Amino acid sequence: MHTNPTMRTRKVAKRPALRADRLAIGLGKAVAVGAILVWSLFPIAFIAMSAFKPGQDIFAVPPKFVFTPTLQHYGKLWSDWGMFFDGLVNSTVITIGATILAITTSTSAGYVYSRYSSRFLNASVLFLIVVRLIPPIVVTLPLFPIINAMGLNDTHIVLIVLYATFFVSLGTVLMRTFIDQIPRELDEAAQIDGATRLVTLRRIIVPLAAPGILAVAVFVVVFAWNEFLFAFIFTATKAKTAPLVISEMIGSIDGVDWGVLFAASTIQLIPVLLFVVLMNRYLVAGLTAGATKG
Amino acid sequence: MSAKSPVNITRRHLLGTALGGAAFLAAGRSFAAGKTLNVLSHKVHQTVLGTGDGDLLKDWRSANDADITWSTFDSNPLQDRLFREASLNATEFNVGFMVDNRPTSQIAAMFEPLDDYLKKEPIEAFDDIAPGLVQGMTVDGKLIGIPVRHATQGLFYNEALLEEQGITAPPKTLEELVEQAQKLTFTSKNGTRVTGMVLASDLAVFPVMFARAFGGDFLTKKFELVPDPAAMEKGLTVLRNMFESGALPRSYATTKNDDQVTWLQQGRAAFTVLPFARFAQLNNPEQSKFPGKIKAIEFPVSAALQGKTPMASVVEAWGMVIPANSRDKDLSWKFIREVSSKRVTLGMANNGNGPVRVSTYKDKSFADKNPVAAVEAAALANARGAFPPFPEAARAQSIFLEEVQLAVLGRKPVNEAVASISSRIKPLLPPA
Repeated sequence: MHTNPTMRTRKVAKRPALRADRLAIGLGKAVAVGAILVWSLFPIAFIAMSAFKPGQDIFAVPPKFVFTPTLQHYGKLWSDWGMFFDGLVNSTVITIGATILAITTSTSAGYVYSRYSSRFLNASVLFLIVVRLIPPIVVTLPLFPIINAMGLNDTHIVLIVLYATFFVSLGTVLMRTFIDQIPRELDEAAQIDGATRLVTLRRIIVPLAAPGILAVAVFVVVFAWNEFLFAFIFTATKAKTAPLVISEMIGSIDGVDWGVLFAASTIQLIPVLLFVVLMNRYLVAGLTAGATKG
Repeated sequence: MSAKSPVNITRRHLLGTALGGAAFLAAGRSFAAGKTLNVLSHKVHQTVLGTGDGDLLKDWRSANDADITWSTFDSNPLQDRLFREASLNATEFNVGFMVDNRPTSQIAAMFEPLDDYLKKEPIEAFDDIAPGLVQGMTVDGKLIGIPVRHATQGLFYNEALLEEQGITAPPKTLEELVEQAQKLTFTSKNGTRVTGMVLASDLAVFPVMFARAFGGDFLTKKFELVPDPAAMEKGLTVLRNMFESGALPRSYATTKNDDQVTWLQQGRAAFTVLPFARFAQLNNPEQSKFPGKIKAIEFPVSAALQGKTPMASVVEAWGMVIPANSRDKDLSWKFIREVSSKRVTLGMANNGNGPVRVSTYKDKSFADKNPVAAVEAAALANARGAFPPFPEAARAQSIFLEEVQLAVLGRKPVNEAVASISSRIKPLLPPA
């Protein structure tokens, strides 16, 4: 086969340029990803590393990256801030409670929005969105005397209900999108076999919408585990959560013990970090739910 | 015969057990004592009362068949919660801890006047409690709180850095302090860049201290605003010149109170102003690179005032109050009496509390344990709050700080900043 020599020269000249361009783009992407990673991970790495540094070295200038690790701050956290661990127990109870409540409510509501249609239901969707637009502080302070009069102040139940309430709207919208993707024929087949609506929801819809449920769970868990404002307003001793105890460590009037503070922050971070890493794909599924619909 | 397995765990059982377990964990511990006293405080107030064998209230608990439940918060959230609880129809909290710069007439009205309690069941040697601190808890002629802790500001210096620069003694006058701070703005032999002095820019305490060193003030107890503008100008000019010469860090505008501690511990600053109670932390070998080398003296006055006018350092005090809407006020008073006793005051002081009793400073065990006790006692004798409480105090403070920062950073001439402080804050003051 005969090839035009001019064209061959042009191709030969183009290939290295193309490769160089790709290399530059690849390098640019790598640098951008690296910069984002450093930007996001540095504070976490600094906290986690400082929790194992001797107190003198935490704020050393220039910073010390090589040091002999110590567990002294964890020991001090255990001996001086026992209430932090009580706070972790409270955070766990409240997070689990709020997640169960939010999932149950969101799934039921999502099912109704997906399978039924009426003027009232269509209007209430707007209401769900409006609820999300209200800043939490607006409802928090007026609620304080009401909650107090109901004798619910400083109880787990008040935070469980509040946290779940703030996620029911988002959870419902998410669950509706997931349930919309489940063919209605499955509901109909179950009903022909004698299943009630509740049984259909429990036996057919819930197992198939499990990824959506997990996506909602991720949002609620992250929010409930880290939430400060409601916990600050509505708890004092019995239901005090871990973020509140950490805030006390920061505001200590006899001086901040940074090593202990970083140790507590590291412990506080681990469960939610593990949970998010394990559930990462559901989180992405939740964020992109319905994106390609239609 | 049943075909069922003896261990039949269903999802319902599992869910029930999980919820039951959560409820058990949520229920918390139960106490054997007959009565419970709920106290709303900062954690430090609880800590200084000791635990286990060192529990200073052990005898009180058994004598009164009462237990104490502490709810602790950071300082500002604590005040917020205390006032919110006191504004309800009824509160579960029996005793609260209040800072002396908060009780305005409106706030004081939410708490029980303690004069009658004091007459009926007096506190041991009440006259021994620093009168200035008692005055801070007296509003409209009524005693609403019993002082329990104070934090008086002192001048801290790093002796090792002074020695390195050939300075043999800490400053005796404000002018000497400025001169030494400028000399101590250098690179130390271990390569650390040292700044003469580090001060937080978001606290009114520091400009007030510098103004008082020249005989001035920001706002007196009688609500005289900037009573001596020339003294305030001198104080701010000193800060401005220190910033310009590098004796205050370039990051002054963003420096916080905690930076002062870490900078001194790391040898990055030679001087700072902090409560004497920080002495232990600054010299803590686990945190400080200069344990035992960080010392404290009373903040010096200007040379012109030396020997004539004593330095009025800034003091912040905490008092114990009883919400007017609380229950079992007699038990609350018994608690306050016990915490205010000579024995408990000394015990708390040995645990790091700023003692409110004059006699505690004279106690040998306390003086031996606390190297700055004598200096602190001397400073406390003339100390007073940064400014008196009034409804618009927070706004007034932020205006004051804004003008001070503009002056120190050189964005506004000092005399104009002082004039602005007067004109902008005057409308916020309570009517005479």
